[in-house]
Amino acid sequence: MIWEQLVLPTLTVLLALGIGAYAVAVLDRLIAGALGLSRAGSAWLAPLARGAWLLTQSANVTEAPDWQAWRLAPLLYLMLAAVGLALVPWSASLVATDLATSVVLWGSVEALATVVIFLHGWSANAPLALIGAYRYVALGLSYILISMFVLIGVALPAESLQFTQVVASQAELWNVIRQPLGLPLFLIVGLGVSFWGPLNLADSTDLAGGTASEVSGPPRLAWNLARAAMLVAFSGVAATVFLGGWLGPWLPGPLWLVLKMFAVLLALLLAGRLLPRLSPERCVTLMWVVLLPLSFVDLVWAGLEALL
Amino acid sequence: MAVSWLRRLAARAPVPVFPALGVHGDAMLRELALDPGVELVGSPRHASVLLVAGGVPPDQHAALRRVHDQVPRPFATLWWRSEPLDGLENATRIDAPSALSDALIAAHRDVMLGRRGSSPRLLPDEPPNPWEGLGDDGHGGEGMMGGVPYGRPMAMNMHDDLRDGLTLDSLTFRLGPFFPALPPGMQAEVTLQGDLVQTWAVQHAPYPLGLDAVFFDARQQPVSIAELELARARYHLYRLFHGLWLAGLESVGLHVLRLARSLTPDSRVDGLRRRLARCGFFDLTMTASAALDDEQARQIGGPAARAAGLADDLRSEDANYRRLGFTPVCQQEGNTRARWWQALAEIDQSLALARQAAARDVQTSEVGSVETPRGPWREGQRPQDASHLLDELLPGLEWGEALAAIASLDLAAVSEWPLDASVAEPRTTPPEEYRA
Repeated sequence: MIWEQLVLPTLTVLLALGIGAYAVAVLDRLIAGALGLSRAGSAWLAPLARGAWLLTQSANVTEAPDWQAWRLAPLLYLMLAAVGLALVPWSASLVATDLATSVVLWGSVEALATVVIFLHGWSANAPLALIGAYRYVALGLSYILISMFVLIGVALPAESLQFTQVVASQAELWNVIRQPLGLPLFLIVGLGVSFWGPLNLADSTDLAGGTASEVSGPPRLAWNLARAAMLVAFSGVAATVFLGGWLGPWLPGPLWLVLKMFAVLLALLLAGRLLPRLSPERCVTLMWVVLLPLSFVDLVWAGLEALL
Repeated sequence: MAVSWLRRLAARAPVPVFPALGVHGDAMLRELALDPGVELVGSPRHASVLLVAGGVPPDQHAALRRVHDQVPRPFATLWWRSEPLDGLENATRIDAPSALSDALIAAHRDVMLGRRGSSPRLLPDEPPNPWEGLGDDGHGGEGMMGGVPYGRPMAMNMHDDLRDGLTLDSLTFRLGPFFPALPPGMQAEVTLQGDLVQTWAVQHAPYPLGLDAVFFDARQQPVSIAELELARARYHLYRLFHGLWLAGLESVGLHVLRLARSLTPDSRVDGLRRRLARCGFFDLTMTASAALDDEQARQIGGPAARAAGLADDLRSEDANYRRLGFTPVCQQEGNTRARWWQALAEIDQSLALARQAAARDVQTSEVGSVETPRGPWREGQRPQDASHLLDELLPGLEWGEALAAIASLDLAAVSEWPLDASVAEPRTTPPEEYRA
């Protein structure tokens, strides 16, 4: 009882967090190397060496920060990633929390991410961090709506807000084919929720690291870890709702999910390295004028498909 | 001191280096960017080694001390062709460029393994102005808004927002002279509402630019046009690298650096232009903002003026350039995007000129004045600093647009000293600028 309801789910989430975040770091470095941005040392060891360095570095102090919020924000972001991962079903039976409303909970994770990222920038009491925080709020409001419409689209054929039901509804046809607009739109949401690559408006180079510009040492490690973990959590959700989750022949279910998560991660990390950071104004215009109407189209498409 | 396995592991990470650039320090930065053992970071908080590259003028030592103390312990400092600050007499000074990368890696390793102590604090850990504890809320003044806590004005609405009337608290702060997204040496006082620039006041002009020695030679004697044009193309490629780094396109930026390093008359930039257009560099990262009017364009001169439609170029007055079929290339809009198109067009044109000139071994015919990549250098009149134009150009722009505009503009004066022909040769008698 305790094993099945407490230990196993916790272990699954922690393992997925740790291994996943490490895999993100290695994969990103391999991609960077393939694109001509080579760094000395082995890609497998580098994330560990970087982590060890951050652990030995002292945690920075700014003048009169909001201490509790500043130290808590990376941990809250990590917790949001953990909540996301807890919802991902690894097989029909292996799922940390099989909520009847898992789609809704994931939506709230995305919304709370905006709050936490703003908190991280605001609480440092430093100008560049604050600008990063302001910018992220503009972005956050824009992508959450897109995410909602896309997720309602996948809940329609399943007639349920439960991720396991959403997977079961894809037994005949994966949602990526059934609703072709859904996955591309959702991938943009993924870049937004982890403010990665083209949507990295919060921690960008023109702000010397933005919300993380004043952070050093272990809190910075926690922040970087949380960002990687959020990518993993997102890729788990994307693989679940669009790529048929654990479904697939020959291999065991969890392995299928891992492979699909890798595919999503690869797409996100490649986009992160190949595309420039959007200017905030372009970004907001793109979201409201192009992508949001496209998500309406996606929803209408899903509705018609469900009726027929 | 017992060295833990954690520190041994940490010593194997690529060295995170924060570069504080002094005069002519940016030449070294471009070498380090391609070094796989070094990772250049944008904030001193993210560094393990503080690299001061080039001489820092005495009036900026106070700022350098603050940057020094912002690096989290344990850390090391390294001084490339620069005199260490008072209080850091034991710091390592390096003059030979070839030794720099190894010295950076060794400094990080030594600090991690406890072979050398962290650089000492230079400033007392206290606010620059005391907390006065006066007034209703301890803010140091009369009434709600009267105080200047810690010597800074409170964030309050002194003026309406420039864009849409949605008034936010104004935030005033100083930026530079070591902020890596600004030209080296530039310092500005900025007031923002949200991320919108309300005022921008340049307080310290950027350091003079070091140009390739061939532009200095061209004022004394005829020089090979091929060599001159390659140096020009290289200069613009270096600027493009900075713009790409700022836009988050690090891998393309390094590609540009490698191209600049191995530039020959047969090099081509068509592929680069296509790649930039395809990934959205011209359309997604910037808006059609920060357009120069004719007067501003004339004050800056050079490529910035040609991007605004002024076809002024001293090369038109050179008979041998005319024989090669030279006519100035221009854009019309004069905004950030037009300036990057102009930079690519000028690189393309320079390579084409270099190809023709190399085949026929053509030299310049005019001496005394030369069109530098920064602008026209007429008799005795070097291109002058124009950074004060930012004060009128940037208000009303978003933060990202403002910094993209600064990256696309080349505003610093031209230094009276050429850049070392290659940073591979240590200078024995440093000119005045190098001495801090």
